[in-house]
Amino acid sequence: MTMKFHKHWKGIILFLLPVLVLYGMFFLYPLVFVYLVSLMKWNGVTHMAFIGLKNYIDNFRNPIFRLALGNNFIWAFSLGIVQIALAALVALILARRPKGWKVLRTVYFLPNVISKVAIAMMWLAIYNADFGMLNALLKVVGLGALETNWLGNVSTALPAVIFQEVIYIGYFMIIILAATMSIPESFYEAAQMDGATVWQQERFITLPLVRGIIVTSMTLAIAFGLRQFESTFLMTNGGPANATMVMGLQLYVDLGSLDYGHANAIGGTLIIIGAILISGIRRLFGEREETAEANQ
Amino acid sequence: MRKPISIAALFGAALLFLLPVAVFAGGSQEGGLVSINWPSIWVGKDSKAPAIADLVKQFNADHQGKIQVNIEPNPDYDAYRNKLNASIAAGQVPDLFIFNPDPTTFQYYQGDLLMNFTNDLKGSWGQEFIPGTIQQATRDGVVKSIPYEIGVTPIWYNKALFQKAGISEFPKTLDEFWQDCAKLKAAGVVPTAQMTGGTNAWTSMLWYTQILAALGGPNVFDKTPFSDPIYVQAAEILQRMYQNGNTTKDAVGANAGVSGGHFLAGQVAMFLNGPWYIGRVKKDAPEVFSNSGLAAFPAINGGHPGGQVAFALSNLAAGNTQDKAKRAAVIEFLKWMTKPDNVRTISESAGSLFAIKYKVDPAKTDPVQAQFINALNDAKFTVPNLTNVIPAKVTAQLGQGIGAMALGKMTPQKFVQFMSQQLSQAQ
Repeated sequence: MTMKFHKHWKGIILFLLPVLVLYGMFFLYPLVFVYLVSLMKWNGVTHMAFIGLKNYIDNFRNPIFRLALGNNFIWAFSLGIVQIALAALVALILARRPKGWKVLRTVYFLPNVISKVAIAMMWLAIYNADFGMLNALLKVVGLGALETNWLGNVSTALPAVIFQEVIYIGYFMIIILAATMSIPESFYEAAQMDGATVWQQERFITLPLVRGIIVTSMTLAIAFGLRQFESTFLMTNGGPANATMVMGLQLYVDLGSLDYGHANAIGGTLIIIGAILISGIRRLFGEREETAEANQ
Repeated sequence: MRKPISIAALFGAALLFLLPVAVFAGGSQEGGLVSINWPSIWVGKDSKAPAIADLVKQFNADHQGKIQVNIEPNPDYDAYRNKLNASIAAGQVPDLFIFNPDPTTFQYYQGDLLMNFTNDLKGSWGQEFIPGTIQQATRDGVVKSIPYEIGVTPIWYNKALFQKAGISEFPKTLDEFWQDCAKLKAAGVVPTAQMTGGTNAWTSMLWYTQILAALGGPNVFDKTPFSDPIYVQAAEILQRMYQNGNTTKDAVGANAGVSGGHFLAGQVAMFLNGPWYIGRVKKDAPEVFSNSGLAAFPAINGGHPGGQVAFALSNLAAGNTQDKAKRAAVIEFLKWMTKPDNVRTISESAGSLFAIKYKVDPAKTDPVQAQFINALNDAKFTVPNLTNVIPAKVTAQLGQGIGAMALGKMTPQKFVQFMSQQLSQAQ
């Protein structure tokens, strides 16, 4: 049996070639390199020595790595569920166009155009035990007993770092809002004529129709949570007592220690976990989405 | 349809040829001019920056048309170290660079990536260095970096705050130290600056090293770190420095900016840092500067008083090259930078101390710098700081362990066990 090629196959290949080369150079090659080095003992100076899965085993035996892994799941949940839920709620409210909704839309989105580094530095000052605004505010409202070193307290450090990321919902809010506002008004008019309440309209019209966008937003947010680094590095450097340690930071420390094998093993682990989590979410929500579409 | 295929072919070929090729450091040679690229952290606000820039300018002027040294500013220490590691791993070693010598960075010596100075230093050039410093830069009989800046970190205290608390002189014993801490607190002054943040919990690490030296003497690091009971004893003392208001409320999680900031703001009586900090104190806290005093750690019963923490802070290294002209140019520049007169110029302007022998002019010597020099000269013995003897991966956990101990999550024994485990895993 001879293979049939498209009559313009040469042109197709040539047009695809540049992007394939770039894809190969900046995605496939690094991916393969990560997994290759994760099986090696290498300090970046001498030759690599093959050691099999030892780096992975060492990592999973390390209690700090396991703690970091747990923290990454907390980040993924916080951003993927809590932040998206908040973003969706605000989007649904703004989609109703209350008074001043355009101003609110801008206000919610504004922090997303500011550098994450600047925001982390700002919250570092807010949380400061001696001169921070949070402790000052608590004192003013008579809750001085709650004053603490927010980033130096094992119980409060992780929630404090996560809080300053979760509340900035603007990015996903805008995406969900755009999807919500593209739903024809006639759907809501018809529902209103049938006596549906606002909550019933949102539940039976809006949410099913923006489910796909919400799932995509959750996927992105979970990915952001899994690769969390900047806020933790800038605000706590993984402390106190490794309470806020995340895998991205652990990887960074290993790279700085010329331990490329362990560092790439962390990277390899993150990729696998991310792939499983994200495909799991799409499978979980994607099936119902397909069913919903089939039933329409 | 031949036209689209030919256009596509041209487009694809052009993109392939125009794909960016990574070009890392590495100077070039054009028409006899040897260009040396030097990514440097001694730029911007670093106290040595102006003097270094002037010396480079003068060198370039003296060697116009033959050698050109180009400083590439890299003001952030951590970013610089990471960039260096990435470049070295990619086989792209800069023509010239600076590194903090520790067990991790001495791995750069392995392989053939660095220029070997062993034979160059055997002559008169090697005689210009303080005895022992070249040995500290030697591994397996080979010298692949030039010892340059050295650090000494006595206890830096604010005499005015001590006087405010009714203390006329620095405590000589540990018991007196705790009594003076109580007096300082009664006067509304925080006794010590501490920090568990940053990559190495710098201030607290130095306190811990000072205590270890006072307990273990000059040979404290001869044994494997964290294997001796004095590490637990030292940790108990450090833990007490974090308790009962002996340090600031934000010490756990604080970075160098915070711990130094408290000292500069006149809130904290005792701090630890090296002579490179003189310029900063002079500029940002003149009152603290004029009341600065330096001291060794108080004597501990059964211990070794009078020691100081002194260590190689920064070494200069160069990428290996087969180009004889480039090699000769790099050596020429390094000899210029290690010339005693030039080193004295940097020392006088920045307050830093160096591994090269030079005579200080008392008329030009900063009074606080003179105290640092005296602290070094008067020391009964010196020990390097803890991060000089443990790998970077273990250093990264030092702040975590100290933080856990400060918060009561680990006892001093558990802290030492934890650090010992980190050391075993890193080896």
